[in-house]
Amino acid sequence: MLALQILIDGFAISALYALGATGFTLIFGVSGVLNLSHGAVMVTAAVAAWAAGSVLHLNPYADALVGLLAALIAAMATYFVSVQPIQHSRRIPGEEKEIFILTATLLWGIMLQELVAYFFTNNAKTVLPIVQGVVSILGVRTPRNEVFTAIVCWAVIGLLWLLVNRTKMGKTVLAASMNPRGVTLLGHELTHIYIVVWAIYGILAGIAGVLLGMFLGVSSYSAGPLTASAFAIVVLGGLGSVSGSLIAAYVVGYLETLTAYLISPAYRSIPALLLLVVVMYVRPQGLLGRR
Amino acid sequence: MPSRFRSPLLWITLAVLVIAATLPWYVSAYILGLLTVAYYFGVFAMSWDLLFGFAGEVNFGPTFLIGVGAYTAGILNSHYSVELYLCVAAGALAAVVAGFVLALPALRLRGPYFGLTTLVAVLILQSFVVVFADLTGGEIGLTIPDVLSINAGVNYWIALGFMAVSGAILFGLAQSPVGLILQASGQDPVQAGALGFNIIKHKLAAFIVSAFFSGLAGALMVFYMGTASVGTVVDLAVGVQVIVAAVLGGRRTVLGGALGAIFLIVAGEFLRPTGELATFIVSSVALLVILFFPNGFLGAVLSRGTRS
Amino acid sequence: MEKSLRPHSRRLPGKLLGVAALTFLAGVSTLASAAEPPIKIGVIAEAQAIAGASIPQAAQMAADEINAKGGVDGRKIELVTYDDHSSSADAVRAFQRAVNEDKVVAVIGSYISEVVLALEPWAARLKTPFVTPGAASNDISLNVHKDYDKNKYTFHGYLTSAALAQEVCDAAKDLLVDGLHMKSAVIMSEDAAWTKPLDAQYEVCLPKVGLKVLDHIRFSPDTTDFTPIFSKIETAKPDVIITGISHVGVQPTVQWKTQEVPIPMFGISSQASSSTFWKDTNGAAAGVLFQAVSAPDAAVSPKTIPFANDFKKRFGNYPSYAGYTAYDEVYYIADAIERAKSTEADKLVAALEKTNWVGTIGRVQFYGRNDEFTHSIKYGKGLIQGLMSQWQDGQQITVWPKDIAKGSLKFPSFVKVGAGK
Repeated sequence: MLALQILIDGFAISALYALGATGFTLIFGVSGVLNLSHGAVMVTAAVAAWAAGSVLHLNPYADALVGLLAALIAAMATYFVSVQPIQHSRRIPGEEKEIFILTATLLWGIMLQELVAYFFTNNAKTVLPIVQGVVSILGVRTPRNEVFTAIVCWAVIGLLWLLVNRTKMGKTVLAASMNPRGVTLLGHELTHIYIVVWAIYGILAGIAGVLLGMFLGVSSYSAGPLTASAFAIVVLGGLGSVSGSLIAAYVVGYLETLTAYLISPAYRSIPALLLLVVVMYVRPQGLLGRR
Repeated sequence: MPSRFRSPLLWITLAVLVIAATLPWYVSAYILGLLTVAYYFGVFAMSWDLLFGFAGEVNFGPTFLIGVGAYTAGILNSHYSVELYLCVAAGALAAVVAGFVLALPALRLRGPYFGLTTLVAVLILQSFVVVFADLTGGEIGLTIPDVLSINAGVNYWIALGFMAVSGAILFGLAQSPVGLILQASGQDPVQAGALGFNIIKHKLAAFIVSAFFSGLAGALMVFYMGTASVGTVVDLAVGVQVIVAAVLGGRRTVLGGALGAIFLIVAGEFLRPTGELATFIVSSVALLVILFFPNGFLGAVLSRGTRS
Repeated sequence: MEKSLRPHSRRLPGKLLGVAALTFLAGVSTLASAAEPPIKIGVIAEAQAIAGASIPQAAQMAADEINAKGGVDGRKIELVTYDDHSSSADAVRAFQRAVNEDKVVAVIGSYISEVVLALEPWAARLKTPFVTPGAASNDISLNVHKDYDKNKYTFHGYLTSAALAQEVCDAAKDLLVDGLHMKSAVIMSEDAAWTKPLDAQYEVCLPKVGLKVLDHIRFSPDTTDFTPIFSKIETAKPDVIITGISHVGVQPTVQWKTQEVPIPMFGISSQASSSTFWKDTNGAAAGVLFQAVSAPDAAVSPKTIPFANDFKKRFGNYPSYAGYTAYDEVYYIADAIERAKSTEADKLVAALEKTNWVGTIGRVQFYGRNDEFTHSIKYGKGLIQGLMSQWQDGQQITVWPKDIAKGSLKFPSFVKVGAGK
């Protein structure tokens, strides 16, 4: 029974990690930006969804939509405020742009987090789940919401795969990640591509944030740990590799779940961090990373 | 050339330091306390700038080194009642070891991976502090029985003196032949390597120096405040403040870090009446500066000289 | 450009400014001494936390009421508030500022034990009376007992963890053992300074009232996923989960409901005592039983319900548990100043020790030098007894002790109450 419980819980939390990490890796893969405001965007989505339900008394579907919208806006703001100005800046030397963008996204993340705390306090908030009740999976009592979370995460990841591999826009984005200059030669505006990517990112982060809000709940304090966790997973999987992130998300998700159940919930995050250290020493480009 | 610029700069700096030293006679204890913290922060920022400006390495986790120094000193004093100055020395030593341990994998990497490694180090330290709360006081903090002094003036002079000495050493290192090599390698790694300098060895040295001063400052600050907590010496947000202070003051100027730190702390204090929005406002100002004045206060003035 | 960016120019103008400021201050103070100077009390709290936000609000209410009646011997009370962001370091800085810069005569501070423990040595160093409205760690008062001359400035204005645990056990005996024939329990608490003595006392008093302790789980305060914890508890098959949580509250409660854990939660959950808890958990709070020293529907003293209603009228919601104590503290500090006829620290401490004040939480008296928990408030009938409350249909209903109870126990459908399963 315990094994089954671990299997199910691990699957759901890993799926959530996977969705978050995918968005993070997408941004890095296409525009080379490590968005350190990632956690803050997810928290914004969850808190917006909570506010829609709690303050405006909308139904759960509308709440989720509001959360998504909030994340989209936050993501676009991140791009226009902390990424684009630096990319186009003439005052910052080329080789230092990466660092400046990193710092800028970090600052922007802090700003978002503080805004959330200012308007909604730093207390934990949960989003009213779209799906309620429990279901019995092979004898293990599982909240229906947990199943819903796993299904939605994978559906979205699947849609993303379709988008990138089957649609014209998706293929352009993929090409841009491999060869930005080449894509501009074909007549595409890089800025338009970036906007598309950040919009996709906003939706991904928004869904992940709202699901997290329904599953576990968030507070403005969650922003930092969420970014750290997505970031650790992406590094493990290999920067820029979406399939690497997916695998790494499951590795980390199951490591955490196993630790929480078998050793102690207090040491939950330790094995994943230790793994990260080992990977940094032995294979810094991660499992499936390029370079 | 450096020596020509050092003359007026030296005299201005000395004058400022002398005036700063007289503050305790006519300024309130609270403002002294504020400036004391700002001076320690100044050392954090200057140490960071040495590594960044002169080794071209972005350390995203200065608080890893600061935190190791601070907590080592704090734990020794709180749990084992070790004498204050021994704790501080131990803290600095621990930070040096930590810097070494961090530098080994980090210096083999390039680009974002170096920054990542330093970021991961902070995460690990943070987890360690929170999980082993029995030892470290966890999220809320560790209370430390000994303090440097209760007198605000004494604390202020200790901090001012420490910052002045550290600044002198760091700046001196930066302007030395070693410093110039590192600066060259930071801006054009391939060329410098071709000239036969052992870049890695010198970067490691820069790392160690940065670690030493960060850890020492962290340990001293902790004995000033009487507490050590994740929020003041480990948190990523603090690391960001250190980086922002250095950038605000001017990258590659070393001394700019002290200015940037003082500005940040004082600005934060001015914003206290805004309550919860203070952090938001300081962060947005920092963002604006990064976007529109990336050379910072002293950047335009000093870097022009050193780059020639 | 540099001058305008550096607000504190340290050159000659600075010195002139300093001299001018001193002259100005001298002038102002001579003017001010013509009218009676206000009595300043510092309030350090976690303004963004649900429990902490009520502290400055309630304190202000008390100050305004006292001032409306003429103040203390004609002097008005002026509160200086500081947000410590749940950080010991910030709290220490705030304390230093309050005493050195703002010249407060006393400080009311924090509901977090670790923060209070960090401030206690500073109250000793700066010789300033310091009262906490909410922390529970035994160490706060044990430290006063151990080194009275140094630490006598600190007053523990809330129950010790030991007293809280005893209260939970007393209530458990009446409600759970006698009322529902329960036989076993699992202790679930966050790993924090206040829960160590709490859990230690639980382990002693729970078996004494008839509940066998099957397991004892301590989790990190920054836990977000409680699934493994509840699963572990379920496998032990206890009749009740005895809680010790304060830093967390919303997340475990919501997840308890989502997972339909069939075991009720009973004990200390400080977030549950806040009136916004129902909304924050989207109703998952239904059935949660929590300890409190006062509640908006409980006539613990004649002052309780009027205060709660006035607070709600002014701030839109009922106060958190620390609001009641903070309100009382401003009053009995003022009362002590009046009795001592002075704001001098040692005289104030002596007067505070003799406090015999009927506040919103009951009759406040402090244990003395020879008692184990020196300067902590006395627990017992006729003094501070506390109560157990339960969330039902969006309301907090007092269910214990019998003489002030307003309702009986009611649990959501997924909870199985009763002996053995």
